[in-house]
Amino acid sequence: MRSRPTLCRRAALSAGAAALSLPFVRGARAADPIGYATWSAAVAQVKAHVAGFEKQTGLPVAYSNSPFAQYRETMIAKFTGGAPLDMLWVSDAWLPEFAMAGWLAPIDAYKQLTAYDAVTSDFCVQSTVFEGKQYGLTYYTDYMSFLYNADILAKAGIPAPPATWDEVVSQALTIKSKGLLDYPVVFGMTQESWMIEFISAMVYSTGGRFIDDAGNATMQDPKTGAVAALTWLADAVQTHKVLSPGCVATGELEVLKTASAGRAAFVLLPKYRLKVLNDPAQSQAAGHFKQSLMPAGNRGSHSTVGWMRFFGATPRGLSGGRAEGLVMLMEWFGGKADGEYVFQKTILKDLGLGFGITELYKDPEVRADLGAYGDVDLMARQQALARKKDTISPWFGEWNDAHGTAWQQAIVGKISVEAALRTSAETWTALKKAG
Amino acid sequence: MIVPRPIAPRMLRLAALGLASLLLLAYVLGPVMWLLSSSLQTEREIVSIPPHWIPESPTLANFKAIFATGLGLARPSPAGTDPSSGGFIPSVAANLLPAMANSFIVAVTVTILNLLIGVPAAYAIGKIRFRGRGLTLYAILATRVIPDIALVVPLFLVVRKLGMLDSLASLIIAYLAITVPFSVFVLASFFEQMPDDLDRAARVDGCSRLRVLTHVYLPLARPALVAVGLFAFLASWNEFLLALMFTQTAASQTLPIVVAGITSDFTVSFSFLNAAGVLAVVPPVLLAVIFERYIVSGLTAGAVKG
Repeated sequence: MRSRPTLCRRAALSAGAAALSLPFVRGARAADPIGYATWSAAVAQVKAHVAGFEKQTGLPVAYSNSPFAQYRETMIAKFTGGAPLDMLWVSDAWLPEFAMAGWLAPIDAYKQLTAYDAVTSDFCVQSTVFEGKQYGLTYYTDYMSFLYNADILAKAGIPAPPATWDEVVSQALTIKSKGLLDYPVVFGMTQESWMIEFISAMVYSTGGRFIDDAGNATMQDPKTGAVAALTWLADAVQTHKVLSPGCVATGELEVLKTASAGRAAFVLLPKYRLKVLNDPAQSQAAGHFKQSLMPAGNRGSHSTVGWMRFFGATPRGLSGGRAEGLVMLMEWFGGKADGEYVFQKTILKDLGLGFGITELYKDPEVRADLGAYGDVDLMARQQALARKKDTISPWFGEWNDAHGTAWQQAIVGKISVEAALRTSAETWTALKKAG
Repeated sequence: MIVPRPIAPRMLRLAALGLASLLLLAYVLGPVMWLLSSSLQTEREIVSIPPHWIPESPTLANFKAIFATGLGLARPSPAGTDPSSGGFIPSVAANLLPAMANSFIVAVTVTILNLLIGVPAAYAIGKIRFRGRGLTLYAILATRVIPDIALVVPLFLVVRKLGMLDSLASLIIAYLAITVPFSVFVLASFFEQMPDDLDRAARVDGCSRLRVLTHVYLPLARPALVAVGLFAFLASWNEFLLALMFTQTAASQTLPIVVAGITSDFTVSFSFLNAAGVLAVVPPVLLAVIFERYIVSGLTAGAVKG
């Protein structure tokens, strides 16, 4: 007897599920494209440059992006899950963590890429190096700049911007005494946005360091540490009252908006914000904001802190037959494309982003662009004085949390400057010991 | 003799109640009103101190920009473009409408599948006596005890192995896993509260189980169906974490991811961001308004299971 064909319920359900999902599954992609992940910034510019690369080389690129606030966690989950990634944007702060985990691969073997080191700002190159190996090419870079509202200074009868931190206080007091602003100095000291950069800029310019060459904490040292910078901030809030105690709850964007509204005489902001501040469409104080060299402390210089984001390669990207295409793509973005620094110029022109390639300061197009809202030579001078954050380490994030809280407490007077720096140093030492 | 209550304490009580209601309203509606108001302001006006709750020169430019870029009629602009006149368009703007469509497809599909899967399961648990009935319900609920963050990497691995990364299907399947247990729990409680006599009478009249469900219980379960449908829709519409992991490109990214991406850009237009926020809240608010009368009764029915 012929048995009756039976329909297994499980098979039917599976087939149903597959049929239901079919319309939503994207079609098979072109053969194994180069996986390129970024955070959601400069999307249009990246897309256009990717398109140029694909046209030039015939190599397909799978470009994806996700919000910056969750980018690091997303990438970690994707690395752990074995996502097909070849090249990605990396923040200098994540380098030790990503390199130690084996998620990034060194590019030292590719002279086509490392040749750009010779024409790149030193702090940018150093920011891509971990344990003697280089992990990428600069995507963009910037530094913390000291900006002042020339109109407010003029109204207060101040002829020149401050060259030292003491002058910042005296000029701010003048502005305050003339009733022009309650708080002439506007700094953002929230943990979430740029606090370590603000602080590092002040520490470097007052002649201090957080750690010595051996990586041991020196921040608590009254002569070589961060005492002068933190004391200045605490005094500005508590004694001179030229900086609002609300600075510990003020983010970088609020600083920008306050400055745009013409309610700040002195701000610390990433240099690229100068473009927005001097744009009449975006700022009520347009045309009034100027850059000066970072004010110097008594034992300091005009140094500032620089940071950068870079194009990093994954071990997958530099493996076997994939390496050639990946190196071409990295150079296309981080070096020259068709003999020109196309991407660097595009993001400068469109977004006001800084570049690591120093020779671009001599480029007429670049000079015309930057010159429209700032002093190009001063920008180049300040960039040459920029240094990378000396605290970048595998425990940077953890230390930064404790350190930031201690500094905030000292700024508003809840603890002393010495206690805050002792906490910072002890946390650093403990984390370093724990590895 | 009836002694009239003194008027003063009554008035005082009413005034206090009114004031408390106003405060609550301001607390709840304040952020929404600011979202709406600032979406109609220029970038220059939005930074005014004190803030303008009523725009001085309201503009629809941000909304126009969203639709124009989404329809390919305009291109994202360089950062130097004038945002105060509404002309500034962030580079991810073109992805907003496709992301809205993706969110809508995912949310509607999840809602429909939720009801298709949840209703029979809940009916079986609520009305059919079988061994392990209670255990089944709690086993289904237990799947929701594990926080989503702990599931991200395992789910990512599954989705990748299935070749479903960057597809809407991955989101639909993941969201079903999140929403179906809740739907089954609410609906099962609702069915359980309904009299068994209805079931018996219909069965005596010759109805099959399916017919009893579709012709007797479902019409009565409308509030619960609306409540779980709305829950499934809102959960899918708002979900962020899994969408962040599973989607990569505009082909599958949903609205929360794209809106969050606007803040990652180098120039942030707050008025544009808020206009995108307004678009994101419109569908859930519309649904809540339409089905408002069913929501409370549906959720309460599930919550007061005896």
